[in-house]
Amino acid sequence: MSRSARPIAIVTAAVALAAVAVAAVVIAVAAGRDIPDAPSAWTGPLLILGVGAPACVGLVLVLRRPATRVAWILLAGALSVALVMAGSVVGNLALDEDPHSATGAWALVLATEWVVLFLWPLALAYVFPDGHLPSPRWRLPAAFALVSAAGAVLLLPLQPELEGPHGDVRSPLAGGADLDFLTPVFWACWFGLLLSLFGGALALRARYRTGSRERRRQILWLAYGALLPPLWLGGSSLARLIFGEFASPDLLVLMLVHAWLAVAVAVAVTRHGLYEIDRLFNRTLVYGVLTALLAGTYALVALLAGQLAGGSAFAASAGTLAAALAFRPLRDRLQTAVDRRFARRRVDAVRLLRDFLDDVRDGRSEPEDVGAALALALDDPRAEVVFRLPETGAYADRAGHVLDGLPEDGRARSTIGHDHREVGVLLHDPVLAQRPDVLRAVLDAAAVAVELGRLRVELRLQLAQVESSRTRIAQAGYEERRRLERDLHDGAQQRLVTLGIVLRRLQRSLPGEARILAPAFDAAVDEVAATIGDLRTIAAGLRPPRLDEGLTAALEDLARAAAVPVELEATGDRAPPDVEAVAYYIACEALTNAVKHGAPSRVTVQTTRTAEALRLVVADDGVGGAAPGAGSGLAGMADRVAAQGGSLALESPAGAGTRIAVELPCGS
Amino acid sequence: MRVVIAEDTVLLREGLAGLLEDAGHEVVGRAGDAETLLALVGEHAPDLAVVDVRMPPGFDDEGTRAAAEIRRSHPGTAVLVLSQHIETRHVVDLVAAGGGFGYLLKDRVLDVDDFLDAARRVSEGGSALDPQVVATLVARPDHALGELTPREREVLSLMAEGRTNGGIARQLWLTEKTIETHVRTILMKLGLPVSSDDHRRVLAVLTYLRASQG
Repeated sequence: MSRSARPIAIVTAAVALAAVAVAAVVIAVAAGRDIPDAPSAWTGPLLILGVGAPACVGLVLVLRRPATRVAWILLAGALSVALVMAGSVVGNLALDEDPHSATGAWALVLATEWVVLFLWPLALAYVFPDGHLPSPRWRLPAAFALVSAAGAVLLLPLQPELEGPHGDVRSPLAGGADLDFLTPVFWACWFGLLLSLFGGALALRARYRTGSRERRRQILWLAYGALLPPLWLGGSSLARLIFGEFASPDLLVLMLVHAWLAVAVAVAVTRHGLYEIDRLFNRTLVYGVLTALLAGTYALVALLAGQLAGGSAFAASAGTLAAALAFRPLRDRLQTAVDRRFARRRVDAVRLLRDFLDDVRDGRSEPEDVGAALALALDDPRAEVVFRLPETGAYADRAGHVLDGLPEDGRARSTIGHDHREVGVLLHDPVLAQRPDVLRAVLDAAAVAVELGRLRVELRLQLAQVESSRTRIAQAGYEERRRLERDLHDGAQQRLVTLGIVLRRLQRSLPGEARILAPAFDAAVDEVAATIGDLRTIAAGLRPPRLDEGLTAALEDLARAAAVPVELEATGDRAPPDVEAVAYYIACEALTNAVKHGAPSRVTVQTTRTAEALRLVVADDGVGGAAPGAGSGLAGMADRVAAQGGSLALESPAGAGTRIAVELPCGS
Repeated sequence: MRVVIAEDTVLLREGLAGLLEDAGHEVVGRAGDAETLLALVGEHAPDLAVVDVRMPPGFDDEGTRAAAEIRRSHPGTAVLVLSQHIETRHVVDLVAAGGGFGYLLKDRVLDVDDFLDAARRVSEGGSALDPQVVATLVARPDHALGELTPREREVLSLMAEGRTNGGIARQLWLTEKTIETHVRTILMKLGLPVSSDDHRRVLAVLTYLRASQG
């Protein structure tokens, strides 16, 4: 199709332009003579405008996108109008010279098809811009329009008398047959065509109402233009009924309408991205102007250098150098200027993304919000970015929730790549796919932010995993201590007590002569008792059993056993066992530290319970100056607290005591 | 006296039963858990129940709770609770609430005479509180206790354990008369009523210590 489409399009456009050129020439020639009802001299240029505009726009479109129906409608329209106009002026001129001219009569037959002036605007209104009806519901009105148009086109040449410059001429086609009965049929067709013109305007309106913002922009200009033919036709038909005249200025208005329609199509194509050829157009414009400017620079510099130095070799070199130096900045400026003028949408969207990147760089925005920036740039509130996690290949949303596959909710997906790797997917309204250039440009601009966002999301995910595994490990540790403590109490200690009882019973059942062994039994039982005491101490070190009674009970024992006076202000409110255990160990460690390094005269231990957390404060009046990592055990404390998801604050100014405040969350 | 023993470790249970039988007591029931214990107490109405704190199924404080239940439903049965480690939860309350209750660390059993003495005291409506529990109560920083001499503190501790003046005198190698003097001084210093009844004296001391525990 495309191979043969181009020559056909070129020939069509050429014939249309040639015909209208002939018409213009004839009008100019006829202007010199005194022909009745001859068009005025300025009709020629307007005809060229009304035919040339659709012919040129159609031709350019076919050369870029041969399958575009709208382009062929423009070309066919230009050709038909050119032929009818040429027929009219040529027929009038020929009959003026020779009232019996057969050529003139046939030309006038051709001129009877003035109805073609309305046909291509009508077709355009029904199928612009995609070549299809707005919806299947429009099939009936379209068929009606087609029948009406066909009827009018077939019946018009059959009128017996043709209107010549010097009275009516017999139509060579009708051949004198009495075809008056067809007149009502024609009027019916004409009325149908008139209705269809309004229908076309309604079709465009329907498309405008249901279309996206982009589609509306594309249609807007044409919609205004499409309203003009039916209005004009209605008005002029009324005028004809009343005055019986076909007024010449009406034709001129119609030509301007034709030009308008062609320009509207051109605007939709170039400024609103229809058929995606604005980029080609853009590049053509940029490099065309660039070439001209560079050539100018070369010529100017070469001329000046030639004047100054006289040497042609030097002049050529200087000119080349100047042109080469000017190339980059000139091209960039031209590109920006042309982009601003003709690719507003893309430029605006990309600029929004650039602003967002600046915000990210300056810390005003987080890269994870790139989805919101894209939604704004693409004017699609449902647009959303999901990040591809490099480790697993799964997708995660901005909050770091890993998705079970991408959502199936009718949104289209566009991959976002960075450095030839997929970094994320944009879920968006499928209609955005009609502007792949805008989409691609914006996604390219967003890629860095998406990459940053996904790394941060992944980091957060991994951190959360590490944190939860650390908490699990710490809790397993506490469980293990508890189990060991129980094993010692309920296992080894019980057996030792049993052993001691067995020894005592043996001792008490010794016959009189063996009483000499009694001290040995006493010594053995003492040893057993001491071992039980040792085991109890070990078990209490693992996990004080009084923690079962609550943190306060355990802290009381701790305070009692401490080497310095300890003032305990403890809450009676319980916290989860693992949290209490951590608090106990922290208090132990802090107390040991205080005694070991701080030389305090007294220590206060304070616990408070809020709805969400258990707070522990251990403060002393010692020497202060404690720092993490100085063998103080502070790092170990901080680790225990962190494993529980809590926080530890240390205040230890030199000479003013040490205060350790710990907050442990008690969430479920 | 007639005794029921509740202890989930079989060997230890048999050892305890042997000790008590050697001393001429009658062990009428042996239980491995709190439920069986309560059934046996209901069945035999013994003079004394010797109860382990940790028992199936939870190995937590089933024994203590069963002891409280026995004190409530069978006032004629005294209870001696044995534990592997010190815990004051409910225990001080139970001892202070009335006679016929004791709480000892298990290894006190190895000091057989002391143990049998405590069992006897408890079964007769007296009390027995482990020295270590008393130590946690007495060791608290307290203004009034601070006014006591070390010897008076010693006597106070032994009183709190539930010992009689004679028992305290034997323990400290002093005459019973000296102890009586100490006791009067202590009760005066703490502002407690002077009573010749050993048991009521213990209650007063324990109530005082518990109150000062805050």
